[in-house]
Amino acid sequence: MTVAEVSTPPCRTRQVPGQPDMWFFVLFESLIFTSYFCVYLYYRAQHEAAYLAAQSQLTLWLGVVETIVLLTSSWSIARCVEQSRNGRYDVARRDAFLTAGFGVIFLILKVVEWVRQIHLGNTFSSGDFFQYYFFLTAIHLVHLLIGFVVVGVAIHQLSSPRRRSQELVETCATYWHTVDFLWVLIFALLYVVR
Amino acid sequence: MTRRSLRDNPKRELWLAWGATVFFYNLYAVVFFLFTHIQPPGQPWYSPDQASTWFTEHHHGLGIGLALIFVFGGLSATSIALITYSIRRMSVSRAFSYSYLIIYSVSAVPGFLFICVALTAGIMRPERSPQLQHWLYQLGFLSFSGTMGVFLIGSLIWMCAILLDGNRVFPKWFGYLNLCNALTEVVVSPSWIFKTGVFPWNGLIAWWIDVVIFGIYTGVFITLLRSMIIREDFGTGPLPAVPAWRFWQSPVETAP
Repeated sequence: MTVAEVSTPPCRTRQVPGQPDMWFFVLFESLIFTSYFCVYLYYRAQHEAAYLAAQSQLTLWLGVVETIVLLTSSWSIARCVEQSRNGRYDVARRDAFLTAGFGVIFLILKVVEWVRQIHLGNTFSSGDFFQYYFFLTAIHLVHLLIGFVVVGVAIHQLSSPRRRSQELVETCATYWHTVDFLWVLIFALLYVVR
Repeated sequence: MTRRSLRDNPKRELWLAWGATVFFYNLYAVVFFLFTHIQPPGQPWYSPDQASTWFTEHHHGLGIGLALIFVFGGLSATSIALITYSIRRMSVSRAFSYSYLIIYSVSAVPGFLFICVALTAGIMRPERSPQLQHWLYQLGFLSFSGTMGVFLIGSLIWMCAILLDGNRVFPKWFGYLNLCNALTEVVVSPSWIFKTGVFPWNGLIAWWIDVVIFGIYTGVFITLLRSMIIREDFGTGPLPAVPAWRFWQSPVETAP
């Protein structure tokens, strides 16, 4: 390949917040989770009574609190992006820490809920519904743990004037919103759908 | 392409490694899915007698298929070498490439050699007691499906290298696809616990969905490695971009 043939990438007009590559991840992860949800709903339809009986042992209000906590974390990361756009990096960094804090609260609530279920005799291997419950909530929690690293990257970006890539901050926020978005679907399917 | 142009092509070793990678993954798919029926895996709930019968029923396919893997399995090293090369071409620390090389060299053992040895031991001594045949059957499939930690870390190393790279060796979205692939290694872990349902080693979630993701991931990284070789300029800076219309062009035409 000669130098003349090498094309320089054209100046890109931004169509989505953050890296478009992260939106590919959002789409692909959403497809993977959709496949899990389809499997869950299919087997739920086969044994509806058993699933409803097991579902009734979940603490709905705890799920609601967890959802509110995670939605609030999405609000704070959105605020972080907004403040960063306006050049108020210290406030943006504080909002990123706040997001991580809400994430920690969610993590604690989730562990408390798991411990409670295990004390009730509901474990990963005790029935179909609880297989899905522990699997979906655990794989979501893995995404949340990755989210802490991602928010850490945003904080790192915001901490020094030499970095402060707005695109990267928005990419991190996109990931965090995905964690929130997936939780809302999991909450609806496991706790709410009757 | 003339013989001279092949001799002078500085990318010939890279193309050789890439061709060997394509051959290996095709052989892997044909042997594991068609010859041996190792994939989709046998039933996890088989009793000792059923496991013994499974070995008898698949005797010829397992024998021929696993023999091919024992002969050509070493070609898996070419894909590891090419990926390590791709990480070396990035603007990241060499620690990434060394870590990837070491972890994936180890991963071939649980990745496919362990199951091949266990199942070959099963078919070559059919007179063994059903309990021992059952043990080999479970050892083979559990080692194959359940020991995914090495792949998890390997995918994360490649992901970090791609996301930190400034040489544009791979697109960033592929870095994120590595994360999707790494997460499937977590999803398969319940196969140690369950024998029925959607989570055992042949379950809908633990195997079928994971294998679709792995298939997409493998197809994508082989295609991107091809793109990397086309764009390779043997420098140390950013790799030149390739216009979309040249992406599928013959590598010979684009070689310098």
